[in-house]
Amino acid sequence: MSNKRRLWQIFGPVLCAAVLLLVIFLLPWERTFSQGAIYQAANSQTTTIFKGSLMKQDAYKEGYVPFYGSSELSRLDPLHPSVIAQKYHRDYRPFLLGGPGSQSLAHFLEMQSTHEQLKGKKAVVIVSPQWFTKMGQNPDAFALYYSPLQACNFLLEIKKDTPTNRYAAKRFLQMPEVNSFVRQGMKRVAHGQKLTGFQRFYLENQRRILNNEDKFFSTFQLRDRIKKINDRAKLLPATYSVKALNKVASEQAAINTNSNNFGINNRFYKKRLNKRVLAKLKNSQRHFNYTKSVEYSDFELMLHQFAKQHTNVLFIIPPINEKWSNYTGLSQEMYQKAVSKIKYQLASQGFDNVTDLSKRGGEQYFMEDTIHIGWRGWVAVDQAVKPFMAQADIPRNYNIHNYFYSRKWQNKPYQISLTNENPLKSNSKESLKGK
Amino acid sequence: MNFNFINLQPYSNPHYFVYLLIGLIPIIIGLYWGRRLKIYEVVFSLVFLFLIFDAEKWQQGVSLIIYVLFQLLVTYGYLYYRRRKNSQNKTWVFYLAVILAIVPLILVKVQTAFPQAKIPGVLAFLGISYLTFKTVQVVMEVRDGAIKELNLGTYLRFLLFFPTISSGPIDRYRRFAKECDMAPKRSEYLTDLELATRYLFQGFLYKFVLGWFFGTHWLPRITRAAMITGTANGGLKLSWWVVAYMYCYSMYLFFDFAGYSLFAVSISYFMGIHTPMNFNKPFIAQNIKEFWNRWHMTLSFWFRDYIYMRFTFFAMKKKLFKNPVRLSQAAYLLLFLVMGFWHGLTWYYIVYGLFHAFAIIINDCWLRFKKKHKDKLPSNKYTKWLAIFVTFNVVCFSFLIFSGFLSQLWFGWK
Repeated sequence: MSNKRRLWQIFGPVLCAAVLLLVIFLLPWERTFSQGAIYQAANSQTTTIFKGSLMKQDAYKEGYVPFYGSSELSRLDPLHPSVIAQKYHRDYRPFLLGGPGSQSLAHFLEMQSTHEQLKGKKAVVIVSPQWFTKMGQNPDAFALYYSPLQACNFLLEIKKDTPTNRYAAKRFLQMPEVNSFVRQGMKRVAHGQKLTGFQRFYLENQRRILNNEDKFFSTFQLRDRIKKINDRAKLLPATYSVKALNKVASEQAAINTNSNNFGINNRFYKKRLNKRVLAKLKNSQRHFNYTKSVEYSDFELMLHQFAKQHTNVLFIIPPINEKWSNYTGLSQEMYQKAVSKIKYQLASQGFDNVTDLSKRGGEQYFMEDTIHIGWRGWVAVDQAVKPFMAQADIPRNYNIHNYFYSRKWQNKPYQISLTNENPLKSNSKESLKGK
Repeated sequence: MNFNFINLQPYSNPHYFVYLLIGLIPIIIGLYWGRRLKIYEVVFSLVFLFLIFDAEKWQQGVSLIIYVLFQLLVTYGYLYYRRRKNSQNKTWVFYLAVILAIVPLILVKVQTAFPQAKIPGVLAFLGISYLTFKTVQVVMEVRDGAIKELNLGTYLRFLLFFPTISSGPIDRYRRFAKECDMAPKRSEYLTDLELATRYLFQGFLYKFVLGWFFGTHWLPRITRAAMITGTANGGLKLSWWVVAYMYCYSMYLFFDFAGYSLFAVSISYFMGIHTPMNFNKPFIAQNIKEFWNRWHMTLSFWFRDYIYMRFTFFAMKKKLFKNPVRLSQAAYLLLFLVMGFWHGLTWYYIVYGLFHAFAIIINDCWLRFKKKHKDKLPSNKYTKWLAIFVTFNVVCFSFLIFSGFLSQLWFGWK
């Protein structure tokens, strides 16, 4: 056999495979998902779905409403929004986005794929004051939720240099998972420069490949919680009434929290709070402070995105289990200050659908465990969600202000109320100059 | 300074392979035309070494450089001693050289086991174990007179041969030195390329497909289930999930490590170096002894040649044992204990070593028994399959110990 022929026999198949792979990943494939797959995806809370694009895009076209949140969304008790929507045949279905450790920055990145689909539509945000720690988004958790695809989307959709883009790029650069070409692109955006022609070319192709990856693989490893939802739905009363729901909530909570005096779910208590952990946690949170945090500016990124999409948003601010916070020493006063700051940021920019549950952490069976809403808390959530969803879809306009990206706002101890001096008028120009 | 170093851990992601294969092209073309581009090879190797040890890993890089200088001092010091006219070849000098060669590794192992006890100046770097195997081997062969000359360039290339630097396979100096300066014949090199390509793709299948399924997809789920059921059951916290964990982890360990080894061998072959294979269908072994001739072969051969054989000769010379059977048993015990300690100073590695020592000792007894009663014991394809089945399960159980999962289950740490 000639040498040339041998060479071809060795490397020919490899070359063919490489070319084929490239072609497959660069072709513009079409794919539609079954209703069942989308329903599974909406309730799976897996990071694959969070990071992807196509399933969410399809879902929002078909009456799904994104519920942005974090770990409380996985408390799938019978009063969970997904169960209620299923049981009472609501004309919306929640699409659960987020999980342990997802904070504003992760959500902002996630939102890059769906701005078209959410234009003039609705969304719900469960904004936990626990996000608002000094450093904001936990970098390790961010790594879990970081999507190179959405990072490409963010970079490629940038039309011009704005404080929002600069701030977002700077924040992404602080996260460990952001690397290689995306990192170079973020650097340019953070400095107010445009992407180079080559960067654009490279990222476009990378986006194509990643989009195809999303198309091919997003239905892999979906977590199926439909059976769970259907089982839970059986426990609910046949006709909707708040009183009846509260009754079921109390009954369920009573059974599931009887192992401890905190009103904490038995399983959670047994698994996560053994004696040693409990002893360690006593009075351990006295110095927690949610009032000074970069998270306020990260949260502004989300608001900016909503404003760009003219999305009608319902914000829900959950409380903390009061018995628990008494035990850990977390200050309710500080908590309320953080809540007032969040509410100020929302109200002053025109986000007026805000349901503040933050003072109800002492009510019996309101919380599922330490900081996560559940049972009667979910009923309270539904009392806000139901009328909100009944409204017609109208594009909303908001008055976004860059002041909220400033250090000054991040570090402001708290905002008492809207009637006090308005920082937007007095300080805004000055603070922007400082940036 | 605001440099943005990229850091590439060997064989970790697709990018690595793309860069690697591009870098290999000149070497491949050169070897095809019968020329070894030595300078290019050195530069290429240095670049990839640099990529392993730069950026946030730079301290490891410094550690590596200091380590190599130290080892050069030890090896050349000993070589100088051995090459003096009428060298005495004193045993204590040899011992001293070996001890010096393994001291850094021991310090690193102690430091890893007791992180609180900060040993100043000790910092582990990727591949320290495997470099130690190489230097100790050279010291021992210098003692025997098998290595009389040590070319500095060749020795450095041998130590720092980057395809195998992180986790072997462990090559031998004399074998490596024979190949590293010449170019193979074209027809032989084409065969090398053929094998290299096959090994590369087999490696992809092993590490990134099968290894991923066992290690990333199933193992965490099984771990969680085993922890929850175990805690609920109380007592020894055992459940069927632990059995599932045992098999899943064993498969993961094999496919991950065999996949990695295939990459290392493949890249070596592209460079015209026949780095020895590390695995040869280990799970069809019919007994433990055969298993160790098929599993992590370069390591077990290293232990066989430099610990088992050395100890056996030493003990025979000193007449420590009257009974040759006792002698080989003691040698096995020593071998596997050292292997256990080498894996790390934790109870489960040491128990793993002891377990294998006893397994192989029992196996030896059985083989002797079988020999004596040849006429009465059946030997057919069913007994063969039974032997494979028993060996496989004994091995998997040893990996369960090795995994540290029992430690996590019982004591909450690993």
